[in-house]
Amino acid sequence: MKKWFGLLVLLVIVLAGCTNPENAEQDSESEGDTGSETAAEGGTLTIADLSEAESLDPHVVTDAASMRYIENMYNTLFRYVPGEYGEIEGDLVADYELSDDETTYTMTLHEGVTFHNGDALTSEDVKYSIERIIEKGVRANQFSEVESIETPSETEVVITLSEPVAPFLTFLAYPMNTVVNQTIVEENGGELDNADAGSGPFKLDSWTKDQEMVLVKNEDYFKEGKPHLNEVVWRSIPDATARSTAIRNGELDILLQAQPQDVDLLDQAEGVNVESVPGTYWEYMGMNVEAEPLQDEKVRQAIAWALDRGAINEVVKFGEASPLLSGNIPQNHWAHLEEDIYPEPDPEKAQQLLEEAGYGDGLELSMKVSTNQSQIDAAQVIKQQLEEVGIMLDVVSQEDSVFFEALGSGDFETTVVGWVGFVDPDEFLYNIFHTEGMYNQQNYSNEEVDQLLEQGRKEMDQEKRAEIYAEAQKLIAEDAPMAFLYANPQISGVRDRVQDFVVDPTVTTISLEDTKVE
Amino acid sequence: MNEIWYQFKKNKIALFGLGMTVMFIIFAILAPLIAPYDPYEMSTSDSLAGPSLAHLMGTDQFGRDILSRIIYGTRISLQVGIISVGISLVLGTLIGLVAAYYGRWVDMVLSRFTDVLFSFPDILLALVIMAILGPSLTNLMIAIGIVYTPIFARIARGAVLSIKSSLYIDAAKSMGVSNRKIMWKHILPNSMAPLIVQVTLSFAFAILAEAALSFLGLGVSPDTPSWGIMLSEGKNWMETAWWIAVFPGIAITLAVFSFNVMGDGLRDALDPKLKNESS
Amino acid sequence: MIAYIIRRLLIAIPVLFGISLIAFFMVRLVPGDTVTAMLGNSYTPEQAEALRAQYGLDEPIITQYILWLTNVLQGDFGFSHFTNTPVLEAILLRLPVTIELALLSVVIAVILAIPLGTIAALKRNSKFDYGASLFGMLGISIPNFWLGTLMILFFSLWAGWFPSGGFVGLYESVWGNLQSMILPAIALGTAVGAVAMRMTRSSMLEVTNQDYIKMARAKGVSSRRLITKHALKNALVPVVTVLGIQTGYLLGGSVVVEQIFGLPGVGQLALQAITNRDYALLQGTILFIASAFVIVNLIVDIIYGFLNPQIRY
Repeated sequence: MKKWFGLLVLLVIVLAGCTNPENAEQDSESEGDTGSETAAEGGTLTIADLSEAESLDPHVVTDAASMRYIENMYNTLFRYVPGEYGEIEGDLVADYELSDDETTYTMTLHEGVTFHNGDALTSEDVKYSIERIIEKGVRANQFSEVESIETPSETEVVITLSEPVAPFLTFLAYPMNTVVNQTIVEENGGELDNADAGSGPFKLDSWTKDQEMVLVKNEDYFKEGKPHLNEVVWRSIPDATARSTAIRNGELDILLQAQPQDVDLLDQAEGVNVESVPGTYWEYMGMNVEAEPLQDEKVRQAIAWALDRGAINEVVKFGEASPLLSGNIPQNHWAHLEEDIYPEPDPEKAQQLLEEAGYGDGLELSMKVSTNQSQIDAAQVIKQQLEEVGIMLDVVSQEDSVFFEALGSGDFETTVVGWVGFVDPDEFLYNIFHTEGMYNQQNYSNEEVDQLLEQGRKEMDQEKRAEIYAEAQKLIAEDAPMAFLYANPQISGVRDRVQDFVVDPTVTTISLEDTKVE
Repeated sequence: MNEIWYQFKKNKIALFGLGMTVMFIIFAILAPLIAPYDPYEMSTSDSLAGPSLAHLMGTDQFGRDILSRIIYGTRISLQVGIISVGISLVLGTLIGLVAAYYGRWVDMVLSRFTDVLFSFPDILLALVIMAILGPSLTNLMIAIGIVYTPIFARIARGAVLSIKSSLYIDAAKSMGVSNRKIMWKHILPNSMAPLIVQVTLSFAFAILAEAALSFLGLGVSPDTPSWGIMLSEGKNWMETAWWIAVFPGIAITLAVFSFNVMGDGLRDALDPKLKNESS
Repeated sequence: MIAYIIRRLLIAIPVLFGISLIAFFMVRLVPGDTVTAMLGNSYTPEQAEALRAQYGLDEPIITQYILWLTNVLQGDFGFSHFTNTPVLEAILLRLPVTIELALLSVVIAVILAIPLGTIAALKRNSKFDYGASLFGMLGISIPNFWLGTLMILFFSLWAGWFPSGGFVGLYESVWGNLQSMILPAIALGTAVGAVAMRMTRSSMLEVTNQDYIKMARAKGVSSRRLITKHALKNALVPVVTVLGIQTGYLLGGSVVVEQIFGLPGVGQLALQAITNRDYALLQGTILFIASAFVIVNLIVDIIYGFLNPQIRY
């Protein structure tokens, strides 16, 4: 099994928990004068996320919150261009070359980069960091084709792969594939759970769990003139009401991951702007292809035809999400499939398919969901919609740990869940739909799809890849191991005084190094 | 019996509790006739509608009628009450009876066991049991039943101990009546009064516990019209649609209040001496 | 007296041992574990196995229990993978919040209970008495999580007097800390106050009916003096017991109220331990909470023994 790709996957649980609305008859306590001042150097920015970081070790964490707490302390070799979904640029790397056989990357690092403790960041640290990522296991599969890492000079790194890997730079740009300081790692006994071993725009000042984490400006940052802020304070506010109240009365400058229901309320609040971009968090109704009635593709197609994605979007996401009528790669991506496979809900077609499959008299299915409120909500609406074509759904909400074990070991019939954070189409498809894919929870298998996905992984030409993935998505949508529901927008509440903060589809906050406050 | 009723009747609040309880039972049985709407029926166009003539208590996010869901919710609450209190009553009485009757090390072990269970906060213990059994209505009732078993064990033990030494039990023993028969025929009926009071009060606890567990998202299936689930959903809508959380809350409070005052009244009526024991 | 204390201690030891047994094995019966919670949607059986071996979760369970208990007795409650700290540290970090909340709740309860209960008893069967009884009954019946939600609606969202959640440390801002604690303390204190008030009332009634009070009254001791000096003092003995037991429970943290108000206390920690299937943390918190209850009760019993020498057995 090619364990190659993987986990750009910040699990969706994290987005979860609270989908909460609050629209108010309440006046926001505005701060009075705004607008007259102009953004300057310095200042403190307070930013809130849904949940608390679990650890500060970039090579170990898997939850989205931890990643955002961590990413501004570190640098990566490449990085996502903030706001330009799918685009990659050098971060630590000033320049690079790819060999003709597309397997050897020769990278030149920026000069004069130092870690927060003053040590110089060299090619040795890059080598050490990649080896540590592989050793830690969590994202090792992104580097499984790496044959060798050489360091001809302090600023030169040569990485050789055993075969071409189209999304390799995307992997290197993944915000948690950071370059860490070996000395600091060793001083902390090999763990970075509570330590800062980075070179990034901000340094760890203090972290009081469940209260706040304070980052201060890195005065010696290698990017001239950056960052602008003196201090960034991270807070986790799991409760939706508390969260939106906090930004409305000015306790917060930026509220990440506002829920669709919050939009109206935040829009009305004085001094708060709602910034929304199409996001990478897509949700689906998963169907276990090995579960009895779902073995028949007609049953799965019936479900895919029966669902009214628009209605689910209206009730659960207040129309803020974009229904996925074709493949799972969202509209803002170059590999999006234009042709709608399920343009309109068609209950009659669904019933006809069920009859053909021998379930004309109806059938019963179970559905497992986590404690994510919007997925619980979606499950309830789906239950009503399927009832109309004669499918009775029994919905159970399980604690996240139990739920994901059931999902990972194939112990479910149907589910509603999602993935977030993918950039390369390979990430959207390979591990989830390839017969040998690590996260092929639906146990889906189609030889043609497998071949396309393998081909796409090695092809370096973007146009050719777009064709390959369009074909693969079409096959997958028609086989319907999942009924895709919608792609969620990435919504943030940002107060007026904040400038140059980019709300990114992947939820990364690396643009903070450019952010200023008035 | 008449005298008990006479005593009970004098307590106006207790009588109110009884009246409310009867009403809840009627709601539960006749829910399909009384409820204006199907509690599961969704209507996108009616989403989050405030109280009006069409929907006296408004609608939720899915456009479901709150009043109808509350009426159906009495079924869940009463079911949870009856079954979980039944479990605690049977288990607890059994433990208490056996402990008190056999005394010595049996009593020692069982009493320490109830002490141990008593030391865990009720909701936390129920949460862990639910985590073991998995989320479902049945498991919820079992969890609540186990959590409130120690109270019954203690009461039964205390009551039995006070009767055990009385003369007529000695007489029965000397006449060669079997242990089991003595327990069943003589001791248990005479320990009934405090147990009946506790059953009523435990109903209140059980309804509260179901609401709390569902509130934390660890209770019944998410679309069940349970008061706790409605409250937990409504909490997210406090600012825009207060009615979703407020009405189920009133229903819970009213039901718990009714059972509590009824239990209080019953205690006074059954035995004035019990009056000072805390619930 | 010493014999009494020793006797109580001897009862407490097997109870504490029982608690350790239940805390350990009950938690191990819970399906799912830390590992699955950590992996989330990226769970694969292979990865889970590897992680389990790393955390020693593949040893026989009895071995694990003995090892755990030995460590606990030496003050080592294990390592919490969820908080990434030793379990004891995680608990101790949360404990001040819970203690503060418990004490505030008890203070609110006492402020409510003792005057109301005393006046209700003295004016027996008056309107005030009925009103107090009704309040007492309602206080017991209102779910504290609903009361908490309502208070957030009225006082935070509509009136804007308090933050609607979140915690401010005592050392950061005393006023901010009090603001974040007062609503949850009322939500918890109401029920405790209601129980204590009922107890105060009935206990007052009993005491005032006793011969020596009647005698004092006949001798012409002033009413107020009688109440404060004689009656109340005696009547409060059982009230103190009730408050003691309630404090024992409150020290365990209120799972639901802490959750609603976003207070990082022991109760919330226990809930996080359950949802994240953090065995070590859950065992630690349960053991800690139940033991705290037993120990507080032990202290209450001993104080009770001092206050009321007749019941010493």
